[in-house]
Amino acid sequence: MGEVDARPFPPGDYPLVVVGSGPGGIQVSYSLRRLGVEHALISADDAPGGMFRRFPFFQRLLSWTKPYAPVPRGSRAYERYDWNSLIGEEPSHRAIQPEFMDGTSEFPSRPEMEAQLAEFVRRAALPIRYGCLWEATRRDGDRFVLETSDGEYRCGLVVFAVGVAEPFTPEMPGRELVAHYVDTRDPETYAGRRLFIVGKQNSGFELASGLLHWASRIVLASPRPAKLSVETNSLAGIRARYVQPIEDRFMGGGVYILNASIEGVERAGDVLRVRTRATDGGMDLAIEADEVIAATGFVAPLRDLPALGVATFGPSRLPAQTPYWESASLAGIYFAGTINMGSPGLKKNGVAGTGAVHGTRFNARILAREIAERHFGVVAPRPALAPRDVVGYLLEEATDAPELWNQKGYLARAVLFGADGPYDEGIVPLQAFVDGSGPDGVAIGLEGDSEGVIRPAAYVRRKGAVSEVMLDPDPLNEFRGSSDGRARLTAALEGLLR
Amino acid sequence: MTMTVAERAALLSRVTLFAGLPEASLQALAELAGEAEFGDGDAIVLQGQVGTGLFVIVAGAARVVRGGEELDRLGPGDYLGELAVIDRMPRMASVFAVGPTTCLALASWDLFRRVDGDPELVHSLLRGLALRVRHLSEHHSH
Amino acid sequence: MAGTEELIDELSDLALFADLARPELAGVAHTLEEEWYADGQRILREGFSGTGFYILLEGEVAVRIEGQERARLRRGAFFGEAAILLGEPPGADVVAAGRVRVVHVAGPALHEFLMRHPNVMFRMLQEQTRRLRSANRWAR
Repeated sequence: MGEVDARPFPPGDYPLVVVGSGPGGIQVSYSLRRLGVEHALISADDAPGGMFRRFPFFQRLLSWTKPYAPVPRGSRAYERYDWNSLIGEEPSHRAIQPEFMDGTSEFPSRPEMEAQLAEFVRRAALPIRYGCLWEATRRDGDRFVLETSDGEYRCGLVVFAVGVAEPFTPEMPGRELVAHYVDTRDPETYAGRRLFIVGKQNSGFELASGLLHWASRIVLASPRPAKLSVETNSLAGIRARYVQPIEDRFMGGGVYILNASIEGVERAGDVLRVRTRATDGGMDLAIEADEVIAATGFVAPLRDLPALGVATFGPSRLPAQTPYWESASLAGIYFAGTINMGSPGLKKNGVAGTGAVHGTRFNARILAREIAERHFGVVAPRPALAPRDVVGYLLEEATDAPELWNQKGYLARAVLFGADGPYDEGIVPLQAFVDGSGPDGVAIGLEGDSEGVIRPAAYVRRKGAVSEVMLDPDPLNEFRGSSDGRARLTAALEGLLR
Repeated sequence: MTMTVAERAALLSRVTLFAGLPEASLQALAELAGEAEFGDGDAIVLQGQVGTGLFVIVAGAARVVRGGEELDRLGPGDYLGELAVIDRMPRMASVFAVGPTTCLALASWDLFRRVDGDPELVHSLLRGLALRVRHLSEHHSH
Repeated sequence: MAGTEELIDELSDLALFADLARPELAGVAHTLEEEWYADGQRILREGFSGTGFYILLEGEVAVRIEGQERARLRRGAFFGEAAILLGEPPGADVVAAGRVRVVHVAGPALHEFLMRHPNVMFRMLQEQTRRLRSANRWAR
């Protein structure tokens, strides 16, 4: 392992600058270096890890790393069962997370995750300029200038991997009386207190779960009914880990869950009074509490990018992105990490690509390849395939490919048919394949249907028109030997397998 | 002919516009529906008049005429007048009985009263109309 | 939940939501997911399963069948419900013509959404009736 310069990348001219040293920034920088693309990596923090240096509060992640999986640790297929390790090409850089887990849970603790990210940076000898805060952005002809606490960086391209990390509390009378999720204290300081939590998504229920045995009463309120992941059949919704407060509610254990908007918070003597307005035909209520906490989410910390022309949308003010994670309104600005939720994909049955590490680490690797090819002329090899092997290869990928499993309905394995026969185009964003132009080809991914059953989905492009071929599910998700899949794919590719 | 409420409900359940409607909603509609008899050549609805009813043919037949031109023939289970009932705009075509014809008639005011408390009914109407739009656009693209 | 108040204001201007009081509208605004499309991006795809219901907030979309433009929809228009109600894939592409902002209800969630807001559904029914009338004018 080589010595890493403590303060690399001084201000100056670079072809590309990556901002952020969370999982997204680290992964994209690592993958760019593998491709030989020169760039600077800068971060406001003083150590790697991004949000995992602080969150989640109650110290365990929602994403597993299974120590015992059906496939060997360190193999590509193992990445499906290890949602937290960054993905390296060298054997020593792979499956680092399980090395840092103490065996008490398949969910790493926050410090274990942070340690894994730092270890990846160390093993990859990844140079990062820490303590360099991006403050403002401007155009200079067709280049960008990033103003930072260390000085100016001039570059043709930027990848922002800055998370969706800026605490957000909605406008309401008495907002100054409301704490945000990020201000949560040690649990014992809530002993015997009546809590009012605004927001019924995972962060709200995480707080309620973590404080359940400390608080004397917990009210959770937001306008829209809580959704459970086990009902949506996806990662959208409250995760199974956090449903205890819901069970307590049904048992009358001092937990109350309201569908109501918050009209305002006011001080009433020693306590706070929250005025709520039912959105489901229930009663309007004024509720007393000792503490009001807003678990109302985060927005993307984009600073002045919207003024520069980066279009944003939705409650988290996410930048709208192309299928390759470029700003949809300002060319040359790319995004990596959680912020990729601004490119939700096809959203079949409402399911978007995940913004969590297990999915966005693959996005970052694809983004690095895209940038290398489009802007630096570094073209990745596309291995030729024998026509008779194509169908088997697609079914193999549907069974094992971690990219397909961890980014369902979002990433796909593509095989294109060129003048010299079929070749492996690699893992691509599904939306880029189905809406893009190019030679005839096929892309296979995995999708949950409206009942949550996982099925392989193939998309066949002929003369620019793409058709969908949904394959049958398998009770053990083993599609390799599927005679139905083989027959349907062979028929769908009729005339192309030459 | 006089039908029982159950017979009317059974008939309505076979009309595409009400397909999938829960039993309770069908029952309620059946209770509101009246029977109307038409002789050969009688007008069931007239083009240009503001519609106040939706008709389902129970027995007999009807022809749809606009500007003197016959557009369609209808038989038992077919319905007519569904647009005028919803928007209370003038009928777009006339429909005449062919031979003695019996219809179930639903008055727009009765239907509107149901709409308020019966979202499933609105849902089935919406679905029924979506089916019509789809058939029309398929018809035109082929 | 940034900007939900603005979204509520925007929704309250649309005919589809004209019958809803503010608290119910707030519930609606929190149920809908906002999306943004660049010029030429597809929102609905002809023949693809698993589609959603969309309401157009900003911009224009083109309805295309086999590549041929059949209609243009503008602010306040909605689309995608027919495919979900009929359980069939959409019969047309819907493509952003310029920048487009929409709100979206996922297919599997549409029935519950409509049942919860019968007034919205009735407005949709009236609009559907209007569409059929204009289609009928040159059809039968």
